[in-house]
Amino acid sequence: MSQNSANFPTAAPILIERLTAVVGKDNCLSRPEELFTYGCDGLTLDAHLPVAVVLPKTTEEVAAAVKVCLELGRPFVPRGAGTGLSGGAVPLCEAVVICCSRMRDILEIDAENRIAVVQPGVVNAHLSQAVGHLGLLYAPDPSSQQACTIGGNVAENSGGPHTLKYGTTTNHVIAVEMVLPDGSTVRLGSRTGFSAGYDLVGAAVGSEGTLGIVTEVTVRLVAIPEAVETLLAIFDDVPAACRLVGGIIRSGMVPAALEVVDQRTIQAVEASVYAAGLPTDAGAVLIIELDGAACEMEAQLARIRDLARGEGVRELRIAQDAEERALFWRARKGAFGAMGRLAPDLYVHDAVVPRASLPEVLEEICAIGDRYRLKLSNVFHAGDGNLHPNISFDRRDADELTRVLAAGREMLELCVRVGGVLTGEHGVGTEKRDYMGMLFSSDDLDVMRRLRDAFNPDGMCNPGKLIPTTRACTESNPKARGYDAVPLG
Amino acid sequence: MSEDRVRGILDGLQNVAGDRAYPLEVAESVGGSGVKARVEPRDGEELAACLEVFSSHGEPALVMGAGTRMALGNPVRGASIALSCRGLQGILEFDVADGVIQVAAGTPLMELARAVEAEGWLLPLDPPDRGGTVGGVLATAACGPRQRGFGSVRDAVLGIDTAMASGARTRCGARVVKNVTGYDLAKLYVGSLGTLAVIEKVWLRLKPVPASTRVVEIETLEAEDAFAVAVAATRRSSARAVALVGETSHCWRLVAEFAGEEPVTKADAAWLSEGRGGHETGETAVDAVRLLQEERSPKGLKVRIHLVPGALAMVCSRLRAEGARVLAYPEPGVVHAELNPGDAGEAPGSWLEAALERLDGICAAAAAELVIEALPLGASAERDVFFGAPGLGLMRSVKERFDPDGILNPGRFAGWI
Repeated sequence: MSQNSANFPTAAPILIERLTAVVGKDNCLSRPEELFTYGCDGLTLDAHLPVAVVLPKTTEEVAAAVKVCLELGRPFVPRGAGTGLSGGAVPLCEAVVICCSRMRDILEIDAENRIAVVQPGVVNAHLSQAVGHLGLLYAPDPSSQQACTIGGNVAENSGGPHTLKYGTTTNHVIAVEMVLPDGSTVRLGSRTGFSAGYDLVGAAVGSEGTLGIVTEVTVRLVAIPEAVETLLAIFDDVPAACRLVGGIIRSGMVPAALEVVDQRTIQAVEASVYAAGLPTDAGAVLIIELDGAACEMEAQLARIRDLARGEGVRELRIAQDAEERALFWRARKGAFGAMGRLAPDLYVHDAVVPRASLPEVLEEICAIGDRYRLKLSNVFHAGDGNLHPNISFDRRDADELTRVLAAGREMLELCVRVGGVLTGEHGVGTEKRDYMGMLFSSDDLDVMRRLRDAFNPDGMCNPGKLIPTTRACTESNPKARGYDAVPLG
Repeated sequence: MSEDRVRGILDGLQNVAGDRAYPLEVAESVGGSGVKARVEPRDGEELAACLEVFSSHGEPALVMGAGTRMALGNPVRGASIALSCRGLQGILEFDVADGVIQVAAGTPLMELARAVEAEGWLLPLDPPDRGGTVGGVLATAACGPRQRGFGSVRDAVLGIDTAMASGARTRCGARVVKNVTGYDLAKLYVGSLGTLAVIEKVWLRLKPVPASTRVVEIETLEAEDAFAVAVAATRRSSARAVALVGETSHCWRLVAEFAGEEPVTKADAAWLSEGRGGHETGETAVDAVRLLQEERSPKGLKVRIHLVPGALAMVCSRLRAEGARVLAYPEPGVVHAELNPGDAGEAPGSWLEAALERLDGICAAAAAELVIEALPLGASAERDVFFGAPGLGLMRSVKERFDPDGILNPGRFAGWI
């Protein structure tokens, strides 16, 4: 943490008193040991303690807490489960954290119309569990789905391995209730999927909590597919696996997932409790998941077999049952956990490149890692061109940390150079805020600023995120200390 | 606006666009606005320069594509000069391996669809009229019967390059299929009827051509079965388009298109046909539905109603009881309806008011969203055809910041934005 105990921000007693009056004593935290948890999200390199944390249970409490903050000139930051990876929930500027994790009721399940209405603190996986008996599921499935909340997913427009076929959060959210940065409450969108005027729901999803605090979410549910087939294609090298991905997509199939794990990851996984029986000398493993009607599986499997053979696949395994399917996925989903064996810290990067450039970009990314003498491995959503280079490191080693950050920057520059973008699903937050200029001109960023100002004119809601600025704290709170504007990733 | 003022602004436009800025010999009515001159920039630079001219004079621009859907929205207020984007032409980049394409906004939709299909891809845009431009489809978010399979317009858009009212050229999104780098501004531009920025070019995501396509038609379905069958058909895994047509009798006609692997379209088509008198027909049946969506009689009132599938039966039945011609897509639920005045000799104005009131009542009962797509010719233009919008205050705030001087299609959007 960049903040030590000597730097604890102190809240004015009146702030705590008034926030406590809104949410009750048990739902307002202000002791230093209570605040630590809320100093960062999954990007633990960037921590700034809040002055207080409130845990409201209703929209009215959120609105009232916002109004207290406004009256006392204190910025505020919405937070879900804190699993984000770009610093979106970090309370810069000595803000109050408004944590929605106790707003966890599923308010309505409308099976006939395949709609659910939830509070923002509902855990992603819990929604699918709650509607499974109706033959339905909530499609976006980020890797953190056992912990992350729907509200956080809305803020970050979260994806997951199955976005290739099903899209990201924005494709599934049709309405939201939001407490605006002025403390008023609005409903945007409708359960019909249409509402007149600008698509403000589309603008709100992925806005990283800078446009307001989402207090209710209406989502579309989809039918659980009749059949699922999961395959493992084992290759000698990454380019061959990527060529198969291209071939599958070009052949007209839309698999539910196309995920590649590289050799360095395979070795880490196989040495860990997540071992999935993969050959550690394999250059790459491609996980292919097909879903749909049972009668279409055979034709698709046959086509994949042919295509894989054409790319010189070493071995093609087809999961025979649910247990084996889970084993295959363990190689992918356990990758992050397996890295814990290599070093105390893990930096999970996130960038997107045009699919066709994946092989060369990966080669170059590995070269960057080697040049900076880093333990780098790759898992990626190959169907989307979404890379996750993972760097295992030890933050106590200042020199290594410097190299981690420098390598990260170089990797992003590379991705942008080939037509890619800075983030596919983790968001900009504080992590990539100061890199936005790599991709966007000052005019482009000015338009984003205009959108933010339309919702959040005084910058009181989640200051210092997403758009580069050096004035965030002074803009929103002249009394607050400036925050560390050194880019992180 | 005075002739002198038009001439002055036109001079400025001619300085940047040459003879692509010209006066019209006879003023034209475009979407209810009297247009006296037009400018058709040929590239992004020229588009931006034209907007600078409009802005420097504080002159509203009637932003348009080919002009095929100008009846949508409210009439633009105070504009005498049209800024047409149809001169922005061409496919700029086509990554055939990835199935993404960048195209200039004025490119005719049909031309793009053909170019894409020639490389084995499918353009997932399906507006009812296919004569317009790509930019026009984005600006109107126009969808047809295939929305079930294609998704809505916003789902196909990856990135947009725009010119702002100030003349600044900006971009959002990119060519990649997954992206959360900054605000998703493209969502705001799609469907905004040219009121926030002018679309110059766009990256689109294409869809693979399905291995097989089957269309089933059922000529007559009793009202009590029709809606349940239509919703169930929409939920078959290969359903790409499902439409119910109610025109003359008390029965409904159903057209369903299935697209995907051969075994699944075969199974889905058989499921629908069997025991219901369905028969397989060609894709022209879907084209016919699309034409029906577009069709309107000059005296008629055309509306679009968005609803949940569970409200389909109630809304459609009540519309038929009103004598409306009805075309319904079950999911996402969209109903197109046209009402015509009876022969009773009722005054057109009072008929319209009464009809709108009844429609409003039907939609309120079903928690549905009502939009007027076309008023009877000659009807007063003093009503907001969008019936308000949730978050209108925020929308005005967005408009004021994107287009502070009200240059881009002022008045055309919801709440007269």
